[in-house]
Amino acid sequence: MDYLKQNFKKNKLAYILILPAIVAMLMIHFIPMAEGLYISLLKLNQYTLLKFLHAPFIGLENFYTILFDPSSTLRIGFMDAVRNTIIYTIATNLSVLIIGLWLAHVLKQQFIGRGIARTLLLLPWVVPSYVVGLLWGFMWRQDSGIINKILVDYLHILPNKPFWLIGPNVIIAIIIPTIWRSFPMTMIMLLAALQTISDDYYEAAEIDGATGWQKLIYVTLPFLKPVIGTLILFGMIGSIYSYNIVAMMFGNGAGYPGDWGDLVMTNISRNSFNMWQFGTGAAASVMLMIGVLALTGIWYKVFKDSLTMQ
Amino acid sequence: MITDKVITQNVSKKYLNYRQKKKIKRYLSLTMLWIFIGITIFPLIWMVISSMSNQEGLLTGKIQPQLKNILINYHDMWTNINFGLYFKNSLIIDASTTIIALSIAVLAGYALARFKFIGSNLFGIATLGTQMIPGILFLLPLYLIFLQIQQTLGIKMVNTYHGIIITYSAFYIPFSIWILRGFFASIPLEIEEAARIDGCTQFSAFIRVILPLAIPGIIAAAIYIFLMAWDELLFAWVLTTSADVQTIPVGIRLFVGNYQNRYDLLMAASTVVTIPVALIFFLLQKYFISGMTAGAVKG
Repeated sequence: MDYLKQNFKKNKLAYILILPAIVAMLMIHFIPMAEGLYISLLKLNQYTLLKFLHAPFIGLENFYTILFDPSSTLRIGFMDAVRNTIIYTIATNLSVLIIGLWLAHVLKQQFIGRGIARTLLLLPWVVPSYVVGLLWGFMWRQDSGIINKILVDYLHILPNKPFWLIGPNVIIAIIIPTIWRSFPMTMIMLLAALQTISDDYYEAAEIDGATGWQKLIYVTLPFLKPVIGTLILFGMIGSIYSYNIVAMMFGNGAGYPGDWGDLVMTNISRNSFNMWQFGTGAAASVMLMIGVLALTGIWYKVFKDSLTMQ
Repeated sequence: MITDKVITQNVSKKYLNYRQKKKIKRYLSLTMLWIFIGITIFPLIWMVISSMSNQEGLLTGKIQPQLKNILINYHDMWTNINFGLYFKNSLIIDASTTIIALSIAVLAGYALARFKFIGSNLFGIATLGTQMIPGILFLLPLYLIFLQIQQTLGIKMVNTYHGIIITYSAFYIPFSIWILRGFFASIPLEIEEAARIDGCTQFSAFIRVILPLAIPGIIAAAIYIFLMAWDELLFAWVLTTSADVQTIPVGIRLFVGNYQNRYDLLMAASTVVTIPVALIFFLLQKYFISGMTAGAVKG
């Protein structure tokens, strides 16, 4: 008890300093989240909305509806969205890491125009993501879009103009802009980390006769593991919770790309706010959060050794 | 002797080959880099070119930038989209958010870097934990809480600047704390101790000595907060319904919904929206990059 008291007294200033942050996080994050958890157990829709937390309690029925109820339209849409989100998350993060690693590797060398190259490569990152959605939606258009013009009319890579914004291609139409927007940050982080690796290691590896790939696998990647860990965690969360690009690219702002490209976030927000299914929406969000927490747990297991907090 | 010569010749031949190979490889990788850069900046060039074209050209795909269209598009976007109002709202909301979130995060980041208090680990984990919560899970409860505050306390929260500002500030505090914590931790403890020997209290040492040293980190966090707030769509979409307080992303989304094919105006607006953040970023990129990477490299 004495120890506690002493510690508290000694660190009084610390508690005062973190108080505003705690209040803010409680107010906006944790209390509404707790209510959200509770709402996932309620029958909260347009009829019961005004009752809010006094809406009828139905236990896990919302979860059942989403996971198992074959008559529910929500279920089919949600499962599609989950599948798309998994594809989207893996594809974007993997591509971003590979592109970022390659660019960081090239930018590490000295060459004429290196500064300009770096600045130009950072450009996509400053473009607001809603502009990214709007701009790429404009470029993906089937008939008059510039991408089809380049692919079909100028370069003749494809025989005829595919639809990018309808059908199975939709997932490509949202993955590529996401990669475009996210690789600069990854590149710059990896570049900073690469520059901390001493050349001695590479020289030693070269004397031992290592090839380029071996140097990458046995020298570069182990050094980069902590940075890559951070990038994977935030990249993963970012793409699972990504909303803006899809919301702006499809349906003139309605944000419905169809079953082939609907993501979990756009799916839940549409069901919650356009169709007034707040209970099921909350239940879906809870499952989404559990999924992210589980992934974070796996992530922690994989990268535990390379995390050197403090 | 002869065999020696042969060996050295062979070696030098091999070596030359190796050097030539390396040179070719280098040119190849630089060529690929510049091709990639070309592809990367093309969408932005296309955005600007499109913003200089007229509507028919954009719809039929025959895009011809003309001076006349520049004048029309960059004039009409302010009137048709009501862009000026949204722009003003975004500036007010984002600037206030940046100031408030930054002040709170600076204090907490310092506490987390310097004190080993009971609950400091829990606090650190809780700040990271906020990043794992899907926004949609607390968006609706937040909206209903705002309505209840209005009913019970009579303070209007939905459709107000302060409602959005409070929400955004809380959003960007946690990650800013982590950026700043790294910076404060990298400032040697001795500097602070020297200040305290000279008669400063811990708090005044923090204000007078540590804060000025942490300015690069503070700038990095400020850029992070501003860019994130500039980019936020979902919460603004739900928490605001009248144009008086709506931000640019909401305004643009509404415009897309109402006038589907006015890409001439939309591309002009997109260009105008991108310029302020691009300017901020490229003027201050030194700080931002060091701020973001410091945390990542040190872990």
